[in-house]
Amino acid sequence: MAAATQAPTAGGAVGAAPAPPRHDGGVPARTLKAFKPSAATYAVLLVVSAIFFVPFVLMVSIALASDQTSAQNAFTIVPTEFRWSNFSDVFTTTGLPVGRFVLNSVVIATLSAVGQVLSSSLVGYAFARLRAPGKGVMFMVVLATMMIPAQITMIPQFLLFKELGWVNTYLPLIVPSFFSNAFNVFLVRQFVSRLPSELDEAAQVDGLGYFGIYRRIILPMMWPILTAIAIFTLTFAWGDFMGPLIYLNSEEMMPLALGLQYMTSTSNALQLPPWNLVMVGSIFLTLPMIAIYYLGQKYLYEMNLQGGSAGVK
Amino acid sequence: MSTIVGEALGAARATSPRRAGRRRLPRPKLSRRGKVEAFWFWVFISPWLVGFVGFLLGPMVASVYISLTEWDSFTPAVFVGLENYARALTQDPIFWKALGNTFVYALVSVPLGLAVGVWLANLLNKRVRGRKLFRTLIYLPTLVPLVATAMVFKMVLAPSGPLNDLLGLFGVHGPNWLLDPTWVKPALVVMSAWGAGGATVLLLSAMNGIPREFYEAAEIDGAGPVRQFWSITFPQITPIIFFNLIMGLIGAFQIFSQVYILTAGGPDNASQMVVPLLFREAFSFYHFGYASAIAWLLFVVIMVFTAIAFRTSRRWVFYETEVR
Repeated sequence: MAAATQAPTAGGAVGAAPAPPRHDGGVPARTLKAFKPSAATYAVLLVVSAIFFVPFVLMVSIALASDQTSAQNAFTIVPTEFRWSNFSDVFTTTGLPVGRFVLNSVVIATLSAVGQVLSSSLVGYAFARLRAPGKGVMFMVVLATMMIPAQITMIPQFLLFKELGWVNTYLPLIVPSFFSNAFNVFLVRQFVSRLPSELDEAAQVDGLGYFGIYRRIILPMMWPILTAIAIFTLTFAWGDFMGPLIYLNSEEMMPLALGLQYMTSTSNALQLPPWNLVMVGSIFLTLPMIAIYYLGQKYLYEMNLQGGSAGVK
Repeated sequence: MSTIVGEALGAARATSPRRAGRRRLPRPKLSRRGKVEAFWFWVFISPWLVGFVGFLLGPMVASVYISLTEWDSFTPAVFVGLENYARALTQDPIFWKALGNTFVYALVSVPLGLAVGVWLANLLNKRVRGRKLFRTLIYLPTLVPLVATAMVFKMVLAPSGPLNDLLGLFGVHGPNWLLDPTWVKPALVVMSAWGAGGATVLLLSAMNGIPREFYEAAEIDGAGPVRQFWSITFPQITPIIFFNLIMGLIGAFQIFSQVYILTAGGPDNASQMVVPLLFREAFSFYHFGYASAIAWLLFVVIMVFTAIAFRTSRRWVFYETEVR
């Protein structure tokens, strides 16, 4: 979400910008009344962040509840039981291949990210650096495709993949990533436009071809934006529910996001879903996202700063 | 990702009026080198090009055609003209109900989320102790995958769950959120408000960029905090608010997973929305023609709302770089 924020100019091209000037006029915030927090500020922030945090506490509390508590739906917000064995039981006692769910998620998310990084770096580089008749039109098409909602292409794509015999395989969820998407192309294009073009020119004089320039000069400099794209794609593919719901129908192929929903829907009317184990699954689904964000935060944040927040349009 | 789209929108807005006056120059003949470069350009963009034709343009054309037929993919398609559209708009009460519910959801949840976001960002923009911790706590929910969010909110919204406990503190007897036709949409709104931290963080970084002289000058002139917020902070962050409004509306119109997992559109279609309806028509009933027509109607609705937002934006969105 918090991605590169750069000042747009005509056509979206951004010249190599030096570090943005600080324009706070040298006025220290502490001297201004507008930045002085009152007791009410603290009260509101404390209450709101406590409320925002309750669902996390509840998630952990339910995940640590015993089967009896779970069956009676008698959960407490603050944990009172500590059944740590739930964290291993989830793999054995649900009757579903939960370990396989996790593996499927890892495979789908990783390969999608690899595909997006490879393809968008190639395409974005071309849009930023190479000149060709028709490039402007093509770039307008890239921008225009961002406006098409996925629901329009969903049904024909399903029929296409069904025709290809790809239903109930990973392919419909992974292969499109290798053909890049407009957002990522746009991100890379903006990033590369800001790299000094003298580098390419020098490399060209030294006899590197266009692929060589991409491979040896530009690609090594692209990694901050590619890290960001990898994070976006991992996050999206890991949490995606609708795609797997459309294409996957056997338990062995389901990623965790779909598997969890499946776990709550398979239990019959007389028997409640094993909520404690479902919450353990939800924690497994959530933790990697927090970890990825924590590890990648630096890159996302740097990208945010590059254009200066005043440039956000 | 979000700001990038904003940038694209901004770029489109900046260039459009200027283009009309530009005279087209005759295209220069390409040199051999130029031809080689152009060749490589097409080679490099071929992954996108193939994807565009195969996964977007082709399916879009197919979708138009499918929407004009009655087709279950097992028997041959029957061309029925605009009948699917007519059926959705005139004969199917559930379509109108779903569209109405989606409107209510989008038009309540998006402005509410933004209001909460602005409010929290304004508080966090002060020199608060433990600011990083507060920011993290407020941002954390946006990292939770939707399915996990739905699972937790099934419990949060349970009749004896934490939300009703909280209401109980104020002596309010909370409803059975997910099973009560009146309260199921507010329940979905509450769930979306949990994700207000995304907007908060973006708005906060925009607020950081506001020159402090503005506040200094306002203080000297004797403006109070409320006046300072409405006359300085708010105008400066309107581009971000506008951007979040557009993206939020587009996203809210496409709500699916929460509804599918938590309510399945019930009770009594009180929480049926357009995309879950489309999904059910397509993948449960195999009404591919009708579902495609719904997809195009949704596209039109999204486009109309985006256009309205853009039209009105000239009145309230402030771009510093724009010369007026």
